[in-house]
Amino acid sequence: MMKWTGLAAGLALAAAFTPHQAAAQQPSCPVKIGGVLPLTGSMGPITTKIAQAAQLAVEHINQGGGVKGCPVELILRDDQGQPTVGVDAAKYLVEVERVPAITGTVSSGVTGPIIASVTAPSKVVQISCCSTASAFTLDGRSQGYFFRTLPTSKTQAYATASEMARRGLKKTAIIYVNTDFGVDMTKFVKLALPKLGGDIVAEVPYNDNQPSYRAEVTKALAAKPESLLLVGFPKDAVTIVREWLSLGGSQKIALNNSMRVMDFVNGVGPKFLNESFGMDNAQVAGPTVDAFNKSFQEKYKTDSAGPGVHTQYDAVMVLGLAMNIAKDLSGPAIKDAVRQVHAAGGAQVGTGPEEFKKAVQLIKDGKPIKYFGATGPIEFDANGDVTGPALVWKIQNGEIVTDRVISIEDMQALFKKVEG
Amino acid sequence: MIGIVSYLVFFASIVLILGIIALGLNLQWGYTGLFNAGIVGFYAVGAYAHAILTAAPRPELIGNFGLPWIVGVAGAMAATALAAWAVGWATIRLRGDYLAISTFGIAVSIQLVTLNWEALTGGSQGLSAIPRPLFGWFQTPFGFNLWFFGLLVAITATVYWGLERILRAPWGRVLKAIREDETAAEALGKSPRAFRLQAFVLGSTLMGLAGALYVSFIGFVSPFDFMPILTFQIWAMVIVGGSGNNRGALLGALVVWAIWSASGVAITKLVPPAHAAQGGAVQVILIGLLLLLALLLRPRGLIGEESVVSRHANDPDPLGKS
Repeated sequence: MMKWTGLAAGLALAAAFTPHQAAAQQPSCPVKIGGVLPLTGSMGPITTKIAQAAQLAVEHINQGGGVKGCPVELILRDDQGQPTVGVDAAKYLVEVERVPAITGTVSSGVTGPIIASVTAPSKVVQISCCSTASAFTLDGRSQGYFFRTLPTSKTQAYATASEMARRGLKKTAIIYVNTDFGVDMTKFVKLALPKLGGDIVAEVPYNDNQPSYRAEVTKALAAKPESLLLVGFPKDAVTIVREWLSLGGSQKIALNNSMRVMDFVNGVGPKFLNESFGMDNAQVAGPTVDAFNKSFQEKYKTDSAGPGVHTQYDAVMVLGLAMNIAKDLSGPAIKDAVRQVHAAGGAQVGTGPEEFKKAVQLIKDGKPIKYFGATGPIEFDANGDVTGPALVWKIQNGEIVTDRVISIEDMQALFKKVEG
Repeated sequence: MIGIVSYLVFFASIVLILGIIALGLNLQWGYTGLFNAGIVGFYAVGAYAHAILTAAPRPELIGNFGLPWIVGVAGAMAATALAAWAVGWATIRLRGDYLAISTFGIAVSIQLVTLNWEALTGGSQGLSAIPRPLFGWFQTPFGFNLWFFGLLVAITATVYWGLERILRAPWGRVLKAIREDETAAEALGKSPRAFRLQAFVLGSTLMGLAGALYVSFIGFVSPFDFMPILTFQIWAMVIVGGSGNNRGALLGALVVWAIWSASGVAITKLVPPAHAAQGGAVQVILIGLLLLLALLLRPRGLIGEESVVSRHANDPDPLGKS
C-alpha cells in the first residue's frame, strides 16, 4: 500500500504546481461539443433518432459557418441508461476532451449525477433534451449551468391554474396520482393558483389500480370544495370521477392531458362532463418547425416524430449559437451566452444551415438574435427551463373539442406573473 | 495532461468504490459460496442511509438530518448490517440458486421502495445536494477528487487488510470448509448457519459502506443508481479477477470497469462521427467479447484462489521451536 500512498502524494504535488486552467483565447479547431445519450439499454430504441437529430444540428452549424470560424465536432458517448457509466463518460469528455459544453441526457437518474459531480463543479454547460425532474434546478444547485429544451410539467400546471382562475373556480380540491408527474403537477398548481386568485382546500394523493377510491374522494369532499382538479390516468380517473359525482361533488372538474381520450369521456358519461375542461401541450407549429421536419426527413428518410427529437436539435443549435455569442469558449462565458440566443428585440433566426449563417453574421455585427427552433421560440427562464404552448379542451355533444390555445407568448407572460 | 490525470483520479475512485463491493461479494461467494444476487439492494440501503443522515434538511422530506460525514458512513454500515441480518436470518438456509432468486427479489423490492417512499427518499426525483466531505476546502473539483481518492485508498486498504486478517484466521478457514463440504464442517462441530450468516452480514455491510462512499463522492442519489445491471457488473468483476482471492476482486474491479470505460473511448475514436449513434451497440458487443475472452483464457480468473491451506504449510519450522 506504500506505493499507493506515494502515488497519491505525487499527484497532490503535481496538482499544487500546475497553473490554473488558462482562459481560452482563439479556439483551436475543431471546436468540440460533448454528447452523452443512452444509445443502448432500455432507452436505446428512442435514442437513435435523438442522436440523429443532434448530428443533424451539428451538420447545420458546420454548413452555416461553425463556431468562431471553426467546424464543430460532436463527441458522442453512450450512458447505457446507467448513472455510473454516464458520469464516467461525462467526466472523460470534460477532462480529457476538454469540451466546454455537453448535451445530455435522457434519464433524469443519469442527468442528476452528471450535474452534481461533473458539469456544475467543473463549470461546464449542460443542455438536456429530455430530463424533466424538477429537483435539478432547485435552490441554484446547478449553479446556472444546466438547461433543458423541453417544457417541464410546470407548463401544464401553470396553464391549468390560469384556466381555473379564468373560470372562477375558487375553492378547489386536488386528487392526484402518486408519481413524480402527479407530485410535480400538484406542487406547481399550488404555487400558481393563489397568485392567480384561487384557493386549494384539499390535496389527496392516490395509488393507481385500485377497485375503489371512495376513501380518497370522501377525504377531498370533507373540505367542501366547489371544484375538483384531477391529475392522473384515465382508467382510475373514471372510477374517481364517478364516485366524486355520486357522493355529491361539483361537476366543475379540471383534468390533465392524459384524460383527453374518449375512453375516459365515455367511461364517465359525457353528460356529466359539460362543465369540465382539460389541459394539454399544444402542437408547436411554424415555419422553423416545418423546416426542421423537412431536413430530418431528407437526411434520414424517416419522419421526425418521436420523443426528444425536436428538443435535442434545439439543444445543440442553442449551444452552437451561444458559443458564437460567447466572448471565449469557457463554460461561464457560454453559460451567459445561452441566455442571449433569444434576446428581446433581436432579429429572428430559425432552423437549418442558411438561418444559422444569418445568425452568425448578425452576431459578428454585434446585433442581438432571437432563435426560433424546432420547438418554437426558445427562451430560458431563471431555472434554465423553457415553456411551450398549451391548449384547453372541453367536452361538447359527447366529443372532445379544443376550447382555446394558450400561445407561448401568453405562457411566458404567465410564468413571469407566477414566478415574478 | 492535467486533464488526463484528473480523469484517471476520478476513474480510479469509481474503481475503488466498486472494488469494495467486489470484496464484499468475494467474502460471500469466493470464500463462503453464498450466491448473493441482490448486491445492489444492500448497496442502495447504504447509499440512502448515508444520504438521509447527512443531507441538509428539507421541509418536504423526513430525515435529511445534516449530520457529519463520518456519522453518515457509520450509520450506513449499521443500517446495511441490520438489513442484511434480517434478510440473512430469513434466507440463509437456502442453497445456491434458491438464495440467488430470493436475494434478487429483495434487491428489486428495495429499489421499488426507494422509488415510492417519496417522503423519505425523494422518490424518482432522488436526493440531491448531499454534502461531500471537506468539499469547501478545495478550490477546484480536481483538488476534492484527489483528496477523496486518497481517502478511498485508505479505506480500501483497511478493508483489504482486515479481510486478509480474518480470512487467514481460523474463522476464514471455517468459511472455506463450509463452502467445500458443509456436512463435514458440521461434523467438526461448526455451525454452518451461524458462519454463513456472519459472512453474509459482513459482506453486505461492505456493500453498504461502498454505497455511502458513492453518494458522498457524487453528491446525488436516485433509484436509477440501483438497477440490477450493477449486480451483474460486480459478479463479472469477482469472476474475471478470480473468486476466492481479495487481490483478484480488486483487480477484477479495475479490469472490468476499464473495459466498460475504455470501450466507450475506443468507439468515439474508431467510429466516424456520422455513425456514432450506432457506436453504442458496438460498444456493448465489445464489452461482452472482452469478458468472454477473459473467461476463456483465464477460467479461474486473472488471479485465482491460492491453494494454501495454512500459512504455516510452507514454513521450514512449522512449530516455531528454534
